[in-house]
Amino acid sequence: MIAVDHLQKSFGRQVALEDVSFAVPKGEVFGFVGPNGAGKTTTIRILATLSAPDGGDATVGGVPVSENPAEVRALIGYMPDFFGVYDRLTSGEYLEFYAACHGVPRRRRARVAQELLELVDLTDRRDVAVDTLSRGMKQRLGLARALVHDPQVLLLDEPASGLDPRARVEMKELIRELRRMGKTILISSHILPELEQLCTWVGFIDGGKMAAAGPMEEVRDRVTTGRRLRIELAQPSEEETERVAALLRDHPGVLAVRPLPDHLEVAVNDEVEDEQLLSALVEKKVRVRSFSQIAGDLSEAFMRLTEDHRGS
Amino acid sequence: MSVTRRFLQGLDNPIVVKEGVSRMRTWRAPVVATLYLSLIGAVGYAWLNVDIGVTQQSIGAVSASAIGSHAFAAMAFFQLTLISLFAPALAAGAVSGERERQTLDVLLVSRVSAFGIIWGKLVASMAYTLLLILTALPLFAAVFLFGGIDPSQFFVSQLITVATAIGLGAISIFWSTLFKRSLAATVMSYASAFGLMVGTAVLSTMLMATQFTAGRGTLIATTGAQTPGLPALWYLNPFFSLYEVLFPQGYAWPTLRTFLQLLIFGPGAGGYTPIGGPVVEPWHATVVAEGLVAVACTIASVWLLRGRRTRPRRRVEPVAQEPA
Repeated sequence: MIAVDHLQKSFGRQVALEDVSFAVPKGEVFGFVGPNGAGKTTTIRILATLSAPDGGDATVGGVPVSENPAEVRALIGYMPDFFGVYDRLTSGEYLEFYAACHGVPRRRRARVAQELLELVDLTDRRDVAVDTLSRGMKQRLGLARALVHDPQVLLLDEPASGLDPRARVEMKELIRELRRMGKTILISSHILPELEQLCTWVGFIDGGKMAAAGPMEEVRDRVTTGRRLRIELAQPSEEETERVAALLRDHPGVLAVRPLPDHLEVAVNDEVEDEQLLSALVEKKVRVRSFSQIAGDLSEAFMRLTEDHRGS
Repeated sequence: MSVTRRFLQGLDNPIVVKEGVSRMRTWRAPVVATLYLSLIGAVGYAWLNVDIGVTQQSIGAVSASAIGSHAFAAMAFFQLTLISLFAPALAAGAVSGERERQTLDVLLVSRVSAFGIIWGKLVASMAYTLLLILTALPLFAAVFLFGGIDPSQFFVSQLITVATAIGLGAISIFWSTLFKRSLAATVMSYASAFGLMVGTAVLSTMLMATQFTAGRGTLIATTGAQTPGLPALWYLNPFFSLYEVLFPQGYAWPTLRTFLQLLIFGPGAGGYTPIGGPVVEPWHATVVAEGLVAVACTIASVWLLRGRRTRPRRRVEPVAQEPA
């Protein structure tokens, strides 16, 4: 649905994008991850037809952004990282105005506004001036605004930035709902744990270069070497924890053991089988309450990738 | 798309509606209108009273038509001054304000064309100016009853004011599109308004003085005869045009021929009885010039705004090389 192919962009001598390529299939949520200034907003602005690339191609729904920007605009809903509102309009008028700007027929505009206000849970704020809304409400209204013409693709640039925890949760729920509606979503952020829960695909960008891109699990597996295990003891006394830590360190394939107050974290290589390790502990009279694998962390993957990338 | 359809679509512009609603919800809209009408009314009333008093003292009789024409002229000049102050203020923040509010990008990603945005902004800012001019018409009509002003003068004086408002509005929107900040756009808009309203007069006077001292022209204002070497710059000055309409010296209605002559040959060498050139009343030139300025500034603004979007680029197909 979105394809970016060897994209390049410079602002004067400053290279913003250098050979950026990735693809997002239809119906997926793509997390575009990178530190500030990595090139996320520049890429999104090119996809939103607000900036022309110096080189490479970008297509949305198969339509080249540079060749047919008007058609691309009909396909996308864009929410910039910072956006203002028209403070003298009510929420309903605000959405109806943008519906008109997107060519929604006059007779349908009020209904579209009502449906979108319901979607973002702002029905009771329909007749309230936009400038009196909280930041979280404005962000939700901004998301509703991006949906007025029922676009297939959503480009969301840092949609959760500056929101309090409750507003973040609400925003996440909204994005999940939009995915259920079949939208293809590109969402940029530098808050990784949020994206990990939301996204099905991920792309890491740093210094204008793509470090990795693809399905979340694939990227995580590609980046993460070895595994981490969490072992919780039935009798987590200090002596018992130390004894078990020593046993684990002697076991072949165990790379590191970290005793923590209520459990042990164990790094093992890919050759270690969980059953064997558990059997070895049981044989040594260790009473294990739980034994589980710690899921690979997106933050960890990102750190590794960008370190490799900067090092290369 | 046909020109008619495009024009009709231009009228059904969401930006015009949104701007109108937003503007009329502020406390400033009624306050400015009240202030505007009060000031014009006060000028007319004061002029009537002073003129009546002076005329009674000097000649012992009052000529209603003379007093009416003077009061009308005072109000018309004052209205033109006010409009030249209001028009830049209403239009200078049109596009730069969107940029400062961070709403421009979202607008550019919509289906509204760059022309639609500029046209909408121009119409919206002009709509309020035209509303002010319209609301003042009853005041002018009251003075009109004294006589001394014929309907054509009434009409043309309002036309010059409207044309000036549109010209200054379009210039202000151009600056607003060019500059990122509304402050810079406002400063340049007022500088342009000053140039048009005062600068052209000062330059024209200087040119006339130069001609006079060089002996190449004869400034015959004292004899009431024609000025053979009236600089063309005078024709662009709305105050001069208004003066010539309200105190005519060879006043003529425009014809299609006059407009064509003006467009093709430019203003004639003479003012009212030209030497070798077509007859062009100053207000013809002013209205046409303001119109041309408005069109040029609108085109330039659209061009500037289009630059902020990705413009359609044709894919260049690689040329197949023939085997050697």
